[in-house]
Amino acid sequence: MPDDEEFRESLRAFLKEHAPGRAPKGAAERLAFAKAWAATKYDHGFAGPAWPREAGGMGLPFEQQVIYQVEMARYRLPAMPGTGWEMVGPTIIKYGTPEQKEKYLRATLRADIVWAQGFSEPEAGSDLPGLRTTARRDGDHYVVNGQKVWNTNAEKADMLFVLVRTGTQEARQKGISYLLIDAHAPGVTVRPIRDITGGEHFCEIFFDEVRVPVSQRVGEENDGWRIARTTLGHERSAGALNQAAFYRRIVDELIALARERGAVADTGVRRRLADFDVRVRVMNAHAARTIASIVATGEPGPTSSVSRLYNSVFEQELHEFAVELLGPFGLLGRGDPDTVQRGRWTGGWLATRASTIGAGTAEIQRNTIAEQLLGLPRDPAMPPRP
Amino acid sequence: MDIGFTSEQEELRAVLRAFLDDHADRRGLLDSDTCHDAKLWRRMATEIGVQGLAVPEEYGGAGFGAAEMCVVFEELGRALAGAPMLATAGLAAAALLACGDEDAKAEFLPGIADGSTIATLALVEAEGAWETDAVHTRARRSDGGHVIDGAKYFVLDGVLADLVLVTVRTEEGTALFAVSGDAAGLVRRAHEAVDPTRGMARLDFASVPARLLSSDPSVVETALDQARIALAAEQAGGAQWCLETAVAYAKTRHQFGRPIGSFQAVKHRCADMMVAVEAARSAAYLAALTAHDNADELAIAATSAQICCSRAYTEVAAGTIQIHGGIGFTWEHDAHLYYKRAKTDELLFGSPDWHRDRLARLTGIAPPKTIEGGVSA
Repeated sequence: MPDDEEFRESLRAFLKEHAPGRAPKGAAERLAFAKAWAATKYDHGFAGPAWPREAGGMGLPFEQQVIYQVEMARYRLPAMPGTGWEMVGPTIIKYGTPEQKEKYLRATLRADIVWAQGFSEPEAGSDLPGLRTTARRDGDHYVVNGQKVWNTNAEKADMLFVLVRTGTQEARQKGISYLLIDAHAPGVTVRPIRDITGGEHFCEIFFDEVRVPVSQRVGEENDGWRIARTTLGHERSAGALNQAAFYRRIVDELIALARERGAVADTGVRRRLADFDVRVRVMNAHAARTIASIVATGEPGPTSSVSRLYNSVFEQELHEFAVELLGPFGLLGRGDPDTVQRGRWTGGWLATRASTIGAGTAEIQRNTIAEQLLGLPRDPAMPPRP
Repeated sequence: MDIGFTSEQEELRAVLRAFLDDHADRRGLLDSDTCHDAKLWRRMATEIGVQGLAVPEEYGGAGFGAAEMCVVFEELGRALAGAPMLATAGLAAAALLACGDEDAKAEFLPGIADGSTIATLALVEAEGAWETDAVHTRARRSDGGHVIDGAKYFVLDGVLADLVLVTVRTEEGTALFAVSGDAAGLVRRAHEAVDPTRGMARLDFASVPARLLSSDPSVVETALDQARIALAAEQAGGAQWCLETAVAYAKTRHQFGRPIGSFQAVKHRCADMMVAVEAARSAAYLAALTAHDNADELAIAATSAQICCSRAYTEVAAGTIQIHGGIGFTWEHDAHLYYKRAKTDELLFGSPDWHRDRLARLTGIAPPKTIEGGVSA
C-alpha cells in the first residue's frame, strides 16, 4: 500500500493524463462519454476506491478514499452512468454468489453494465415494506409481475436491481427478495415520467410475466430487505467534502449573479446571501467532522445523519431565493430567448422540490433522526421496524 | 481541514462536565446582582486551572490553545455556570495578548491565569454600537498619566471586574486603556438584565486614572472576534443542553396514553432541533479549531459562527419550552434561563443582521462602495 502522498501523486498523474474534456451534447453521446471515462478509470486501476481488490476495486483505507474524492473533484468529470451502482455493488460483494460476482462486479465498475434501482411502487413509497410486485416461483425461475416507479434514469439501464414480494403481503419486509433483472427481458417495459421541470429523469417500470432465473436472486429468499441497504464501510462519507464544495460553487455563482444584476445594493439581498454563505461553511464543517469521526472512532457520528436534511432544505431555499433575485426575469422559462443563464435557476428551483422527497422523504428522515439518534419512541401506529 | 478533538481534549470535557454538574448552580445566580459564584470560580482555578488554560506558560498559564477554550466555553454554556470566563478570558485576556504591551501582560495575565483577577472589556456606549470606532469616551493627560471620562454600557461582569479594559477615543483613533475596578471616579451600576445568569453593568468614568495599553484599534477587533468564537461555543453547549432536556422530557411525558415523543409532530421538532444543534457545533468548532492566518479570516470565522449559532440556540431553546408545554413556561423550570440566554446572546457582540452585513463586506458579497453608510469591518 503506497503512503498517502505517493497515492495522491499517482492519482494526480493519472488525472492529468487521462481526464476527459467537456462533455458532448446529446443524451446518447453523454452516456457514451461517461462510460468511456468509467472504463478508463477501471483499466488504469482507479475505479472503486472502497471496493475490495478481488471485486476489481482499489481497496483503499478510508483516509485514501477521502484523498481520492478530493482529487477527483478538482476536475469536472462525468458521473458514473445510471444510478444505484454504489448500492447494488456492495450488496453483490457481500451477499452475491461467486457467479454473480464474476458476472457483474468488474463490469459494473467499468460501466459496461449500467444499473437502475427498482424499489418504490405506486402504493409503496415511504412505506416500502408494503411493496406488491410479486415473484412467483416456477421451477428454476421466478415470474415477476407488478410495477415500480421513480426509477431514476432507468431508460439507460442494462440491468435492474429490484425488490420483489416472494412471501405474503402480511410478512411485509420479511417476505421480500432481491433480484437482478435484465432491463431488456421480455415483459419489462420502461416508460419515462415527465416531471415538474418538463424533463424526464424518472421512469416507471412494468413487469408482465417476466421470467428471471433463480440464480439472479441475491441472498436468501425473503431476506432481500435486510441486504438492500448494504454499504461498504463509510464509502459515501469519503465524498462528503465534495458535496460541500459543490454547494460552495453554487453559492459563489449565486453571489456572482446578484452582483451582475446589481441586486447586492440591497441590504436584504446581502443578508440573505450572507446566510447562504454561512450555511455552506457549516456543510463543509459537517463533512470535516464526519470524516474526522470515522478516522478517530470508526463511526461517522451525528453529522452524517443530519447533513442530508440540512443540505436538502438548503438547496431548496437557495433556489427559491435565486428566482426572487431574478425579479421579472424569474417569470421566464428555460426556452425563452431572454431567460437568464439558460434557465438554470428556475430549473433548479423546480428540480430541488425532489430533494426532500427522493431517497427517503424529509419526514422519514426526521423520524429516523428522532428514533435512531435521539432515541424517541416509535409511533405505535407505524408497523414495527425490521 | 480537521476539526476533531483529541482524546486529551475530550478528557478535559468529561472532567469539566462532571465538575460543573457537581458544583455549578445556575438557580443560585437568580438572586445575585453579579451572577457570580465566587466559590465555583475558586474551585475552577484550584482544581482544574480553567482560567489559565489558554494563558501562555510565561505568564503563569498552561499554554493550551483554542481547542481547549472551545471545550471550556461549550461546557460553561451548557451549565449556564456563574463564572466570568467570557469577560475575563474571552475578552480581556484576548485583548491583553493581542496588545504589544509586555509590561501589562506580565502584570495582569498571571492574576487572570490563577483566577485571582476578574477582568472585562468595556466598549459599547449609549448608542449601542459594537463598532470599535463608535466611541466617545475621552482620555486626557494628567500628572504624567491619563484620566478618562465617559460612560460604558452592557459591560460583561462590569461590577465584578478587578481590571477593566476600556476603549477610548483619542486624536489617533480608538485606543485601549486599563482601569482598576476600584479606581476613584469609577461608578459601577449593575444592569437589571433579561438574562438573570449573565452579569452586566453600566460604568461611568469621571476623571478615572487609566493606563494606555494600545493605540491600535485592531487589538480590540481581535479580542472581540475571539470573544465571538468563545460565545459561539457557549451557544452550542447551551443548545445541546436544551435538546437533551427536551428529548428526555418527550420520552417520559405521557398524553393520550403514550409518550409525547412518539408523536411525529414532537419527533419532527426534536429532529429539527438536532439539525440546528449540529449546525451550531460545526460552526463553533470550525471557528475555534481552524487556523486563521489573518485578521479578515478571524473576522469571517467569528461572524459566521455568530450568524449560525445565534439562530440555532434561540430556535432550540424556544423548542425546548414548547415541548415542555406549561411546565416550560414556569419560573421553576430552567428552560427560560436558556431561552433568555439564547435570545440575549444574539445581541451580544453584534446582532444577527449586524453580522450578516459584516460578513457581506468581509467576503466581498458586495463591493464596499455599494454599501450605504457602511463601516469598515
